[in-house]
Amino acid sequence: MKRVAAGDQNAFATLYDAIAPRAYGLIRRITRDPALAEEVTQDALVEVWRTAPRFDTERGSAVGWILSIAHHRAVDRVRAEQAAADRERRASTASVPFDEVIAEVTARLEHEAVRRCLRALTSIQREAILLAYYGGLSYRDVAERLGAALPTIKTRMRDGLIRLRDCLGVTLG
Amino acid sequence: MTDIHTFAGAYALHAIDHLEQARFERHLAECPSCAAEVAELADTMAAFSDATAEEPPVGLRAAVLARSAATPQTRRSVSRQRFRLPAVRWQRLVTAAATVVALGGAGVAGYEIANDSVVVDNTGVSAANKQIAAVLAAPDARMHSATAAGGGQVTVVSSRSLNEAVAVLGKLPSPGADHAYQLWVISDGTARSAGVLATGSTGATELVSGIRGAQLIGVTRERAGGSRTPSQPLVAHVPLT
Repeated sequence: MKRVAAGDQNAFATLYDAIAPRAYGLIRRITRDPALAEEVTQDALVEVWRTAPRFDTERGSAVGWILSIAHHRAVDRVRAEQAAADRERRASTASVPFDEVIAEVTARLEHEAVRRCLRALTSIQREAILLAYYGGLSYRDVAERLGAALPTIKTRMRDGLIRLRDCLGVTLG
Repeated sequence: MTDIHTFAGAYALHAIDHLEQARFERHLAECPSCAAEVAELADTMAAFSDATAEEPPVGLRAAVLARSAATPQTRRSVSRQRFRLPAVRWQRLVTAAATVVALGGAGVAGYEIANDSVVVDNTGVSAANKQIAAVLAAPDARMHSATAAGGGQVTVVSSRSLNEAVAVLGKLPSPGADHAYQLWVISDGTARSAGVLATGSTGATELVSGIRGAQLIGVTRERAGGSRTPSQPLVAHVPLT
């Protein structure tokens, strides 16, 4: 990552090989469209290259930072597409409902610890996190969908993530 | 009042709108422990990415590498940049402020205090100049700028430790012969007058005291001598943090 930040193209190619499947896979789940996912992944990874000098090793892992950029890009794109679809009163281009995506992801969680930690959350924590993360829903949309108050959802997202973090033992350096 | 800190989870999940995001990022710049929490929460979600990893389309690698080769990288850490004033603009601002101060104290002395309409006399100028210099030189000085409605620029350098700010107003549109620009310190939606410019004046350098806890410096166009409450809409507003 240091070499990428210093402008080393070869290092970026190595980083691409290490991270692209995870970035693309995540983005495809959120956009639910392979062609769109390819485009968004391209934008996200070029952004990783562009902003690499800003990456601060004391602020989390490179993987976390890269996937956060990938996630943000995908969510922005999905919301923009959704807004366009709403304007034209047509169905969103995404064909697979995100409930199916969430079901698929949770079924595929091979990592025993991740699966166990996710199960340890309350159902509202788990649903709030997964709907936002894979559905690209805002906390307002999540609140509406789950029929819960806004502050509740906001709080559940945070305490749910903190519980996951503690359960998985994620700490900064 | 909502505790902004509770946004950390929704922020890490990108589940907030752009306005809330901007607000929370301002908070993050001042709260290292919150920034660390957000990074940890992002790392936490990264643990899920194995489950969705998938071979990307073949053409993607070449496309990404070609585009990155043609894309210049950003230079510095933005989080650190926030605490550092950009050298060129900073120099220009100090020069601009010094010029205004040197011009017979046109900016500093030539304003009326809103409530009693007393024009500050020359004995006050050197003291005010010293205070202005102190704010500009403060280690925690921060600079923010905004373009005013109708043109012109309002730049504010603030120091939390000194509890003071310097507002440099320049090239504003003429307020009219019987109107003047007035400065306000805005805290949680409440505005307190921070001085009125000379009637008809389109620029000034003002020392503003008592900024701790405030979010904005606002500028309005008022009748000569100023008002007790700001007329809407604001001509400009500049964040303090």
